[in-house]
Amino acid sequence: MRSRINLYIVEYAINSLLRQKYKTLFIGLVLTLLIFLLSSVFFITNSMKHELQATVDALPEITVQKIKAGRHDEIDVDVIDAILELNGVESAVARVWGYYYFQNAGVNFTLVGIDEYEEQYKKSFVAAASKLDFTKPSMLVGEGVKRVMDANYYKEYFNFIKPDGSLKRVDIGGVFKAETELESNDIILMSKESVREIFDMKENKATDIVVRVANFNEVATIASKIKLLYPDTRVITKDDLKISYQNIFDYKSGIFLALFTTALFAFFIIIYDRASGLSSEQKREIGILKAIGWRVDDVLREKFYEGFVVSLLAYVVGITLALAFVYIFHAPFLREIFSGYSQLKTSFALPFVLDMQTLALLFFLTVPLYIAAIIIPSWRSATLEADEVIR
Amino acid sequence: MIRLVDVVKKYEVNQSQSVVALDGINLEIKKGEVVVLRGSSGSGKSTILSLIAALSKPTSGEVVVGDERISKLPDSFASDFRRNTIGFVFQKYNLIHTLSVEENIILPLVPINLDAKEIKVKLERVLGMFHIAHKAKQLVKNLSGGEQQRVAIARANINNPQIILADEPTANLDAKLSLSFVEIVKELKAEGKTIVIATHDPLFFGLDVVDREIEISQGKLL
Amino acid sequence: MLLTPEVLAILVLNLLFGLFGAVAFLLSLKIFLKWDADATTPLQYTLEKQSFLAATIIKYIFSVKVPLFAFFVFTLDKISGVITGAMCAAGVVDATQSGMYLIALKIINLYLFASWLKLHSIDMSDKNQPYTKLKFGLFLLFFLSLLLELVLDFRMFGGIEIDKMVSCCGSIYSSSSTSALSTLFKIDNALLLSLFYGNYFLILLFFFLKKKYLFGMLNTLFLPLSLVSLILFFGTYIYELPSHHCPFCFLQADYYYVGYFIYLSLFLGTFHGMMIGFMPKVENGYKISLLFNSLYVILLTLYVLFYYFKNGVLL
Ligand SMILES: Nc1ncnc2c1ncn2[C@@H]1O[C@H](COP(=O)(O)OP(=O)(O)O)[C@@H](O)[C@H]1O
Ligand SMILES: [Mg+2]
Repeated sequence: MRSRINLYIVEYAINSLLRQKYKTLFIGLVLTLLIFLLSSVFFITNSMKHELQATVDALPEITVQKIKAGRHDEIDVDVIDAILELNGVESAVARVWGYYYFQNAGVNFTLVGIDEYEEQYKKSFVAAASKLDFTKPSMLVGEGVKRVMDANYYKEYFNFIKPDGSLKRVDIGGVFKAETELESNDIILMSKESVREIFDMKENKATDIVVRVANFNEVATIASKIKLLYPDTRVITKDDLKISYQNIFDYKSGIFLALFTTALFAFFIIIYDRASGLSSEQKREIGILKAIGWRVDDVLREKFYEGFVVSLLAYVVGITLALAFVYIFHAPFLREIFSGYSQLKTSFALPFVLDMQTLALLFFLTVPLYIAAIIIPSWRSATLEADEVIR
Repeated sequence: MIRLVDVVKKYEVNQSQSVVALDGINLEIKKGEVVVLRGSSGSGKSTILSLIAALSKPTSGEVVVGDERISKLPDSFASDFRRNTIGFVFQKYNLIHTLSVEENIILPLVPINLDAKEIKVKLERVLGMFHIAHKAKQLVKNLSGGEQQRVAIARANINNPQIILADEPTANLDAKLSLSFVEIVKELKAEGKTIVIATHDPLFFGLDVVDREIEISQGKLL
Repeated sequence: MLLTPEVLAILVLNLLFGLFGAVAFLLSLKIFLKWDADATTPLQYTLEKQSFLAATIIKYIFSVKVPLFAFFVFTLDKISGVITGAMCAAGVVDATQSGMYLIALKIINLYLFASWLKLHSIDMSDKNQPYTKLKFGLFLLFFLSLLLELVLDFRMFGGIEIDKMVSCCGSIYSSSSTSALSTLFKIDNALLLSLFYGNYFLILLFFFLKKKYLFGMLNTLFLPLSLVSLILFFGTYIYELPSHHCPFCFLQADYYYVGYFIYLSLFLGTFHGMMIGFMPKVENGYKISLLFNSLYVILLTLYVLFYYFKNGVLL
């Protein structure tokens, strides 16, 4: 009978919390703040992971880069022909792209070249290819890029500085949109010819080659065949990329968490201290309860119910606030820490991602910790001498 | 009903010093008896009550209530015993001021998870018996001293215990209210309860309702 | 070293278990050595108070450990996405040398803590508290087991190398592999199943005969038998693949999280059965034990039957 949840004690616990308004409020606020910060960080990283994963998913199965002296180098376009010979390869396309540093704004653009009559290796490029004017130097720019250019009064065209110092003028033909904002934000699309000119790249060279494979299971085999054909290349499969993205994020939030552990222990101490400081009124109350027939276990139970009520409430409120902060207000300040794209000071919306596992993680990082912090203080008060109250 | 055998109670004040509050008490109280424990302040009256209520344990000797050796009971059994068998009316009433009259009275029932209906029946019985039904919803801190005592008595009786212990019940009451307390004792005696009153108030000396007076001085019975 | 937020959460909680467990250990030691139920000394009163703290800490550790175990398996599943080759938790367990022992130890510790709490509640409901010395003495041992688990946890997560190729569960749980489990696959299915169902029917028999020691022994035997037959035989019907023997994959959403239900009923059934056999004064619990053991048997048998009705053959 006693092992069931006793609603009367729960009621008493809530009542007791309300009667100690300021103490409850203080502990509740500290805990809520902690959960809020923690969940904001997780929501942001989850969303960015999701976004990046979507980007990676859209990528071709295999990317082939040439490696020279341990560094990424331009690759010969004729490699494509040899790759297409391999069984199971559906298509192989040479990519021409690179980063362009725009000094005035201190940001990097990603320049990507496309061909009008070529199979596009990304879905979003198909629409762009029909929109782009290939008859003259023209480009489509991502929204982030557009904003930066506007701010620098390049409304109609932009002057790229070539490696030899001369200028290349390219007209702004429109805005480029992809499925995810993260993907298209800093991108500039133009003809391969223009990109080659800006980066001073020869006609028969490309940045890398992307390969599409018909059967997913053959990816690994084909990758190793390419590697055999061209030992001077690095062959990256989509899975490799996925894993390294995941690692980067876990690593980043791991570092954050390591810092956070310090905060957790500070929090532990604060709660311990608060819970220990019993006023004489509270001591009297516990003495009364024991004197009229409450067991030590009942008092302990009441204390833990108090702890549960506070921590679960803080858990729900903290998470709700974090959801609003991240997905409605786009997480000002915090996002900058986690976005590798923060050089390009533009905002992009985070896709909504919420899973059980994150909720469980948040739970385990906060609620048991809080309960642990109140064990000893609760026990101290539950075992106070009851006969003091009769004096 | 209640038996104390060679009971000694020492309080450790610090490492080297201890106070002997009770020094070899032998005492037997029969069922239905009303006993007054009289003695000056500091003589050990409250200590005897707290031993009978299993609120504290003797340093040596035995306390037996019914056929239960309560001086040997572990906490959970001592608590159950206290809740079911003892109604304690404390000197300072020991009510929780920020709770209402009702909430205070049902406090002993909270850990045992009864039906709401059962609680209501028990509550209404004592509210009527001690004439405080009209104040049931008020906060205790807004009540007068006499009313507070009636709440304390109601709480002590919520489980209809066989034994009532009262510590200096009239210390904070005027003469009129003290007399009405004596009336309450009569009523409880009529119900067959065993009652022990610790007091140095002469009002209780030589009363009809009191079966026996026991004098205590410096931890010893006279 | 693998430092995902999940791993860090597990490690932080482990640290707490270690700290609080150590407090409980010291108190237990003191109580074990000095407890004297007849004494009325201040020391005895202090010990009585401290026994509440020790018991509360043990309760706390157990109640966090149960959901944390599920979270642990969940985390291994997630890490499997990061480790090359591993497709589910089994691969991650295999990625470290101590992985399999760790899982076994975690399960054993859950049983130990649960039985400690059972003994505690029996002790507390007796006026003489006859098992107080015993239970705190036992905790001295259980704590060492817990400590070993915590150390293995740290070693496991510290020892996972992301780039190292590991096996996927398909190769760990198969007869051709060289892992520790593969010897099990030499057992004949017919023999295994007769043992499994035979054991169950004996449990049923002794349920009616109410022979507590035999009932408890049979339940203890039923646990490893059930786990082995789950991996070797029943698992393949849950996956509907003759070669898929993994005991973790069916915890995933693809199989409607049925694994949690399977393991929970096995735990509840065998635990209550064991308690009847080995705990003093436990009389009821026969029904709960039989109920959950039966649920376990029926559920797994149904998987086989459904497969047979759908496909007309057995795997
Ligand atoms: N907790 C305590 N620590 C030390 N001495 C105590 C304690 N409680 C009571 N005493 C002492 O025990 C003696 C008896 O006290 P008590 O039973 O309260 O007397 P009474 O109720 O008759 O006034 C007194 O001398 C008092 O000072
Ligand atoms: Mg007194």
